[in-house]
Amino acid sequence: MSDVSVMTTASGCHIFSGCGYPAPSIADFYFKPIFTVGGIPITKPVVLAVLAGAIILIFFYVAFRKPKLVPRGTQNLGELGVLFVRDQILRQQLGRKGDKYLPFIVAIFFFVWIMNVFSLIPLIQFPATSKIAFPAGLALVVWVTYITIGMRTKGPIGYFKQMAVPEGAPWWILPLLSPVELFSNILVRPFTLAIRLFANMLSGHLLLLVFGLASWYLLSLSIGLLFAATSFLLTIILTGLEVLITALQAFIFATLTSFYIADATETSH
Amino acid sequence: MNGRREQESGRDPSQPLPPGEGWTFLSYMIGGMILYGFVGWLAARWTGWPVLFPVGMLLGLASGIALIIFRVTRS
Repeated sequence: MSDVSVMTTASGCHIFSGCGYPAPSIADFYFKPIFTVGGIPITKPVVLAVLAGAIILIFFYVAFRKPKLVPRGTQNLGELGVLFVRDQILRQQLGRKGDKYLPFIVAIFFFVWIMNVFSLIPLIQFPATSKIAFPAGLALVVWVTYITIGMRTKGPIGYFKQMAVPEGAPWWILPLLSPVELFSNILVRPFTLAIRLFANMLSGHLLLLVFGLASWYLLSLSIGLLFAATSFLLTIILTGLEVLITALQAFIFATLTSFYIADATETSH
Repeated sequence: MNGRREQESGRDPSQPLPPGEGWTFLSYMIGGMILYGFVGWLAARWTGWPVLFPVGMLLGLASGIALIIFRVTRS
Protein backbone atom coordinates (compact mmCIF):
# COMPACT_ATOMS: atom_id res chain seq x y z
CA MET A 1 0.00 0.00 0.00
CA SER A 2 1.32 3.42 -0.82
CA ASP A 3 2.00 6.18 1.64
CA VAL A 4 -1.10 8.17 0.75
CA SER A 5 -3.54 5.30 1.13
CA VAL A 6 -1.94 4.32 4.45
CA MET A 7 -2.42 7.89 5.60
CA THR A 8 -6.06 7.90 4.47
CA THR A 9 -7.11 4.64 6.07
CA ALA A 10 -5.21 5.47 9.24
CA SER A 11 -6.72 8.92 9.53
CA GLY A 12 -10.29 7.63 9.50
CA CYS A 13 -11.28 10.35 7.08
CA HIS A 14 -14.92 9.87 6.05
CA ILE A 15 -17.62 11.70 4.15
CA PHE A 16 -19.69 14.28 6.11
CA SER A 17 -16.89 14.58 8.64
CA GLY A 18 -15.58 17.73 7.05
CA CYS A 19 -12.64 16.30 5.18
CA GLY A 20 -12.45 16.02 1.42
CA TYR A 21 -11.90 12.91 -0.66
CA PRO A 22 -8.17 12.16 -0.63
CA ALA A 23 -7.93 11.49 -4.35
CA PRO A 24 -5.11 9.20 -5.38
CA SER A 25 -2.54 10.83 -7.60
CA ILE A 26 0.74 10.17 -9.30
CA ALA A 27 2.33 10.70 -5.88
CA ASP A 28 1.02 7.23 -5.02
CA PHE A 29 3.53 5.83 -7.49
CA TYR A 30 6.54 7.26 -5.68
CA PHE A 31 7.98 5.45 -2.72
CA LYS A 32 10.47 6.33 -0.06
CA PRO A 33 13.64 4.24 -0.34
CA ILE A 34 13.47 1.22 1.93
CA PHE A 35 17.26 1.07 2.18
CA THR A 36 20.26 2.00 0.08
CA VAL A 37 22.88 -0.24 -1.48
CA GLY A 38 26.10 1.58 -2.28
CA GLY A 39 24.32 4.90 -2.59
CA ILE A 40 21.54 3.51 -4.79
CA PRO A 41 18.15 3.86 -3.10
CA ILE A 42 16.11 0.65 -3.17
CA THR A 43 12.38 1.28 -3.33
CA LYS A 44 9.37 -1.01 -3.32
CA PRO A 45 9.19 -1.42 -7.17
CA VAL A 46 12.85 -2.48 -7.25
CA VAL A 47 12.23 -5.05 -4.51
CA LEU A 48 9.19 -6.29 -6.45
CA ALA A 49 11.17 -6.69 -9.66
CA VAL A 50 13.85 -8.68 -7.86
CA LEU A 51 11.13 -10.72 -6.16
CA ALA A 52 9.52 -11.44 -9.55
CA GLY A 53 12.85 -12.63 -10.90
CA ALA A 54 13.39 -14.81 -7.83
CA ILE A 55 9.90 -16.33 -8.06
CA ILE A 56 10.42 -17.29 -11.70
CA LEU A 57 13.90 -18.64 -11.01
CA ILE A 58 12.78 -20.78 -8.08
CA PHE A 59 9.60 -21.95 -9.79
CA PHE A 60 11.31 -23.15 -12.96
CA TYR A 61 14.19 -24.63 -10.98
CA VAL A 62 11.80 -26.67 -8.87
CA ALA A 63 9.72 -27.58 -11.92
CA PHE A 64 12.57 -28.83 -14.10
CA ARG A 65 15.12 -29.90 -11.51
CA LYS A 66 14.50 -33.59 -12.12
CA PRO A 67 12.44 -33.73 -15.30
CA LYS A 68 10.43 -36.90 -15.73
CA LEU A 69 8.89 -38.26 -18.89
CA VAL A 70 5.45 -38.22 -17.32
CA PRO A 71 5.30 -34.81 -15.63
CA ARG A 72 3.77 -34.48 -12.19
CA GLY A 73 3.08 -31.64 -9.81
CA THR A 74 5.19 -28.54 -10.35
CA GLN A 75 6.73 -29.92 -13.52
CA ASN A 76 3.26 -30.28 -14.98
CA LEU A 77 2.53 -26.63 -14.21
CA GLY A 78 5.88 -25.50 -15.60
CA GLU A 79 5.37 -27.41 -18.83
CA LEU A 80 1.90 -25.95 -19.14
CA GLY A 81 3.37 -22.45 -18.94
CA VAL A 82 6.22 -23.09 -21.35
CA LEU A 83 3.97 -24.87 -23.85
CA PHE A 84 1.43 -22.07 -23.68
CA VAL A 85 4.11 -19.52 -24.55
CA ARG A 86 5.48 -21.76 -27.29
CA ASP A 87 2.19 -22.60 -29.00
CA GLN A 88 0.11 -19.49 -28.41
CA ILE A 89 2.77 -16.80 -28.68
CA LEU A 90 6.02 -17.92 -30.31
CA ARG A 91 4.88 -20.34 -33.02
CA GLN A 92 2.02 -18.07 -34.03
CA GLN A 93 4.63 -15.58 -35.18
CA LEU A 94 7.78 -17.53 -35.97
CA GLY A 95 6.64 -21.05 -36.73
CA ARG A 96 8.71 -24.04 -35.66
CA LYS A 97 12.07 -22.53 -36.54
CA GLY A 98 11.55 -19.90 -33.87
CA ASP A 99 11.89 -22.41 -31.07
CA LYS A 100 15.45 -21.28 -30.38
CA TYR A 101 14.02 -18.00 -29.07
CA LEU A 102 11.70 -19.83 -26.67
CA PRO A 103 13.78 -19.18 -23.50
CA PHE A 104 13.84 -15.46 -24.22
CA ILE A 105 10.09 -15.20 -24.85
CA VAL A 106 9.24 -17.40 -21.84
CA ALA A 107 11.41 -15.19 -19.63
CA ILE A 108 9.84 -12.00 -21.01
CA PHE A 109 6.29 -13.30 -20.65
CA PHE A 110 6.60 -14.58 -17.09
CA PHE A 111 8.66 -11.64 -15.85
CA VAL A 112 6.14 -9.11 -17.16
CA TRP A 113 3.20 -11.18 -15.97
CA ILE A 114 4.48 -11.64 -12.41
CA MET A 115 5.34 -7.96 -12.15
CA ASN A 116 1.80 -7.13 -13.34
CA VAL A 117 0.15 -9.62 -11.00
CA PHE A 118 1.75 -7.90 -8.00
CA SER A 119 -0.98 -5.34 -8.61
CA LEU A 120 -3.52 -7.79 -7.18
CA ILE A 121 -1.64 -9.62 -4.42
CA PRO A 122 -2.88 -8.43 -1.02
CA LEU A 123 -0.33 -6.41 0.97
CA ILE A 124 1.84 -5.95 -2.12
CA GLN A 125 -0.78 -4.33 -4.37
CA PHE A 126 1.56 -2.53 -6.67
CA PRO A 127 2.45 -3.43 -10.26
CA ALA A 128 6.17 -2.85 -10.74
CA THR A 129 5.47 -2.34 -14.45
CA SER A 130 3.55 0.86 -13.68
CA LYS A 131 6.93 2.52 -13.22
CA ILE A 132 8.11 3.48 -16.72
CA ALA A 133 11.67 2.36 -16.00
CA PHE A 134 10.77 -1.35 -16.05
CA PRO A 135 8.80 -1.43 -19.33
CA ALA A 136 11.40 0.90 -20.86
CA GLY A 137 14.25 -1.36 -19.79
CA LEU A 138 12.46 -4.43 -21.14
CA ALA A 139 11.65 -2.66 -24.41
CA LEU A 140 15.32 -1.70 -24.74
CA VAL A 141 16.34 -5.33 -24.34
CA VAL A 142 13.76 -6.36 -26.98
CA TRP A 143 14.90 -3.57 -29.30
CA VAL A 144 18.59 -4.52 -29.08
CA THR A 145 17.63 -8.19 -29.55
CA TYR A 146 15.57 -7.81 -32.72
CA ILE A 147 17.99 -5.37 -34.32
CA THR A 148 20.93 -7.69 -33.56
CA ILE A 149 19.01 -10.69 -34.96
CA GLY A 150 18.07 -8.72 -38.08
CA MET A 151 21.64 -7.62 -38.70
CA ARG A 152 22.97 -11.13 -38.17
CA THR A 153 20.51 -12.75 -40.57
CA LYS A 154 20.65 -10.15 -43.34
CA GLY A 155 23.76 -8.11 -42.72
CA PRO A 156 23.60 -4.49 -41.56
CA ILE A 157 22.91 -3.09 -45.05
CA GLY A 158 20.34 -5.69 -46.00
CA TYR A 159 18.49 -5.21 -42.74
CA PHE A 160 18.59 -1.45 -43.06
CA LYS A 161 17.21 -1.76 -46.59
CA GLN A 162 14.38 -3.97 -45.35
CA MET A 163 13.50 -1.50 -42.62
CA ALA A 164 13.61 1.50 -44.96
CA VAL A 165 11.98 0.18 -48.13
CA PRO A 166 8.33 -0.86 -47.80
CA GLU A 167 7.58 -3.80 -50.05
CA GLY A 168 5.03 -3.34 -52.81
CA ALA A 169 5.32 0.43 -52.96
CA PRO A 170 6.12 2.02 -56.35
CA TRP A 171 9.59 3.60 -56.49
CA TRP A 172 8.44 7.18 -56.97
CA ILE A 173 6.66 7.28 -53.62
CA LEU A 174 9.62 5.90 -51.66
CA PRO A 175 11.14 9.30 -50.75
CA LEU A 176 7.89 10.04 -48.92
CA LEU A 177 7.29 6.64 -47.36
CA SER A 178 10.81 5.46 -46.47
CA PRO A 179 11.30 7.94 -43.61
CA VAL A 180 7.99 6.85 -42.09
CA GLU A 181 8.84 3.16 -42.43
CA LEU A 182 12.26 3.70 -40.89
CA PHE A 183 10.92 5.90 -38.11
CA SER A 184 8.15 3.44 -37.34
CA ASN A 185 10.46 0.42 -37.29
CA ILE A 186 13.31 1.91 -35.30
CA LEU A 187 11.75 4.44 -32.93
CA VAL A 188 7.98 3.99 -32.65
CA ARG A 189 8.16 0.25 -32.01
CA PRO A 190 10.18 0.28 -28.77
CA PHE A 191 8.35 3.37 -27.50
CA THR A 192 4.87 1.97 -28.06
CA LEU A 193 5.97 -1.36 -26.61
CA ALA A 194 7.07 0.30 -23.37
CA ILE A 195 4.27 2.85 -23.12
CA ARG A 196 1.46 0.37 -23.83
CA LEU A 197 2.48 -1.79 -20.86
CA PHE A 198 3.29 1.13 -18.58
CA ALA A 199 0.09 3.09 -19.27
CA ASN A 200 -2.16 0.06 -18.90
CA MET A 201 -0.70 -0.90 -15.54
CA LEU A 202 -0.61 2.67 -14.26
CA SER A 203 -4.23 3.38 -15.15
CA GLY A 204 -5.37 0.02 -13.80
CA HIS A 205 -3.68 0.60 -10.47
CA LEU A 206 -5.03 4.15 -10.30
CA LEU A 207 -8.59 2.91 -10.97
CA LEU A 208 -8.35 0.38 -8.16
CA LEU A 209 -6.97 3.09 -5.87
CA VAL A 210 -9.79 5.50 -6.71
CA PHE A 211 -12.55 3.03 -5.89
CA GLY A 212 -10.71 1.33 -3.03
CA LEU A 213 -10.13 4.65 -1.30
CA ALA A 214 -13.64 5.82 -2.09
CA SER A 215 -15.26 2.79 -0.47
CA TRP A 216 -13.37 3.59 2.72
CA TYR A 217 -13.95 7.33 2.52
CA LEU A 218 -17.70 7.06 1.79
CA LEU A 219 -18.26 4.64 4.65
CA SER A 220 -20.48 6.22 7.30
CA LEU A 221 -23.81 5.51 9.00
CA SER A 222 -25.84 7.45 6.45
CA ILE A 223 -26.61 7.38 2.73
CA GLY A 224 -22.83 7.16 2.46
CA LEU A 225 -23.15 3.46 3.24
CA LEU A 226 -24.90 2.93 -0.10
CA PHE A 227 -22.21 4.90 -1.92
CA ALA A 228 -19.52 2.89 -0.18
CA ALA A 229 -21.19 -0.39 -1.11
CA THR A 230 -21.41 0.67 -4.77
CA SER A 231 -17.79 1.74 -4.75
CA PHE A 232 -16.76 -1.53 -3.13
CA LEU A 233 -18.69 -3.50 -5.76
CA LEU A 234 -16.83 -1.56 -8.45
CA THR A 235 -13.53 -2.33 -6.74
CA ILE A 236 -14.32 -6.03 -6.97
CA ILE A 237 -15.43 -5.81 -10.60
CA LEU A 238 -12.34 -3.80 -11.55
CA THR A 239 -10.12 -6.29 -9.73
CA GLY A 240 -11.62 -8.96 -11.98
CA LEU A 241 -10.85 -6.78 -14.98
CA GLU A 242 -7.30 -6.30 -13.74
CA VAL A 243 -6.79 -10.08 -13.55
CA LEU A 244 -7.54 -10.12 -17.27
CA ILE A 245 -5.43 -7.04 -18.06
CA THR A 246 -2.33 -8.30 -16.22
CA ALA A 247 -2.30 -11.50 -18.29
CA LEU A 248 -3.30 -9.74 -21.51
CA GLN A 249 -0.56 -7.12 -21.30
CA ALA A 250 2.09 -9.77 -20.67
CA PHE A 251 0.68 -11.74 -23.61
CA ILE A 252 0.76 -8.70 -25.91
CA PHE A 253 4.29 -7.80 -24.82
CA ALA A 254 5.55 -11.32 -25.56
CA THR A 255 3.55 -11.55 -28.81
CA LEU A 256 4.97 -8.28 -30.09
CA THR A 257 8.48 -9.32 -29.09
CA SER A 258 8.17 -12.49 -31.17
CA PHE A 259 6.54 -10.50 -33.97
CA TYR A 260 9.49 -8.11 -34.10
CA ILE A 261 11.94 -11.03 -34.10
CA ALA A 262 9.89 -12.67 -36.87
CA ASP A 263 9.98 -9.43 -38.85
CA ALA A 264 13.77 -9.28 -38.46
CA THR A 265 14.33 -12.89 -39.59
CA GLU A 266 11.75 -12.94 -42.38
CA THR A 267 13.44 -13.30 -45.76
CA SER A 268 10.98 -12.14 -48.39
CA HIS A 269 9.51 -9.09 -46.73
CA MET B 1 -1.85 -22.68 -36.95
CA ASN B 2 1.26 -22.83 -39.06
CA GLY B 3 2.23 -19.26 -38.38
CA ARG B 4 2.98 -16.73 -41.02
CA ARG B 5 6.36 -18.16 -42.02
CA GLU B 6 4.75 -20.76 -44.26
CA GLN B 7 3.52 -18.06 -46.60
CA GLU B 8 6.79 -16.47 -47.56
CA SER B 9 5.72 -15.37 -51.01
CA GLY B 10 2.73 -13.15 -50.56
CA ARG B 11 -0.20 -13.39 -48.24
CA ASP B 12 -3.07 -15.77 -48.65
CA PRO B 13 -6.09 -13.44 -48.62
CA SER B 14 -8.30 -16.13 -47.09
CA GLN B 15 -6.07 -16.25 -43.99
CA PRO B 16 -6.44 -13.64 -41.26
CA LEU B 17 -3.55 -11.26 -40.74
CA PRO B 18 -1.10 -12.48 -38.10
CA PRO B 19 -1.50 -10.88 -34.66
CA GLY B 20 1.00 -8.10 -34.27
CA GLU B 21 0.27 -6.83 -37.75
CA GLY B 22 -2.41 -4.56 -36.31
CA TRP B 23 0.12 -2.94 -33.98
CA THR B 24 2.35 -2.34 -36.99
CA PHE B 25 -0.48 -0.40 -38.63
CA LEU B 26 -0.86 1.71 -35.52
CA SER B 27 2.85 2.38 -35.44
CA TYR B 28 2.82 3.46 -39.11
CA MET B 29 0.07 5.98 -38.46
CA ILE B 30 1.62 7.32 -35.26
CA GLY B 31 5.08 7.35 -36.85
CA GLY B 32 3.89 9.14 -39.97
CA MET B 33 2.02 11.78 -38.02
CA ILE B 34 4.85 12.44 -35.57
CA LEU B 35 7.57 12.51 -38.23
CA TYR B 36 5.89 14.68 -40.86
CA GLY B 37 4.06 16.65 -38.18
CA PHE B 38 7.45 17.56 -36.74
CA VAL B 39 8.83 18.41 -40.18
CA GLY B 40 5.74 20.52 -40.85
CA TRP B 41 6.09 22.26 -37.50
CA LEU B 42 9.72 23.11 -38.23
CA ALA B 43 8.79 24.35 -41.69
CA ALA B 44 5.98 26.43 -40.18
CA ARG B 45 8.39 28.06 -37.76
CA TRP B 46 10.97 28.83 -40.43
CA THR B 47 8.59 30.15 -43.06
CA GLY B 48 6.08 31.77 -40.74
CA TRP B 49 3.18 29.88 -42.34
CA PRO B 50 1.44 28.07 -39.49
CA VAL B 51 -0.69 26.10 -41.96
CA LEU B 52 2.33 23.95 -42.78
CA PHE B 53 2.03 22.15 -39.42
CA PRO B 54 -1.40 20.56 -40.07
CA VAL B 55 -0.39 19.99 -43.68
CA GLY B 56 2.62 18.02 -42.43
CA MET B 57 0.47 15.98 -40.07
CA LEU B 58 -2.01 15.18 -42.83
CA LEU B 59 0.83 14.20 -45.12
CA GLY B 60 2.20 11.93 -42.39
CA LEU B 61 -1.18 10.33 -41.83
CA ALA B 62 -1.56 9.79 -45.57
CA SER B 63 1.91 8.19 -45.74
CA GLY B 64 1.05 5.92 -42.85
CA ILE B 65 -2.18 4.82 -44.51
CA ALA B 66 -0.35 4.33 -47.83
CA LEU B 67 2.18 2.10 -46.07
CA ILE B 68 -0.64 0.05 -44.55
CA ILE B 69 -2.27 -0.37 -47.95
CA PHE B 70 1.00 -1.49 -49.57
CA ARG B 71 1.65 -3.90 -46.71
CA VAL B 72 -1.79 -5.49 -46.84
CA THR B 73 -2.05 -5.73 -50.61
CA ARG B 74 1.50 -6.93 -51.29
CA SER B 75 1.50 -9.96 -53.54
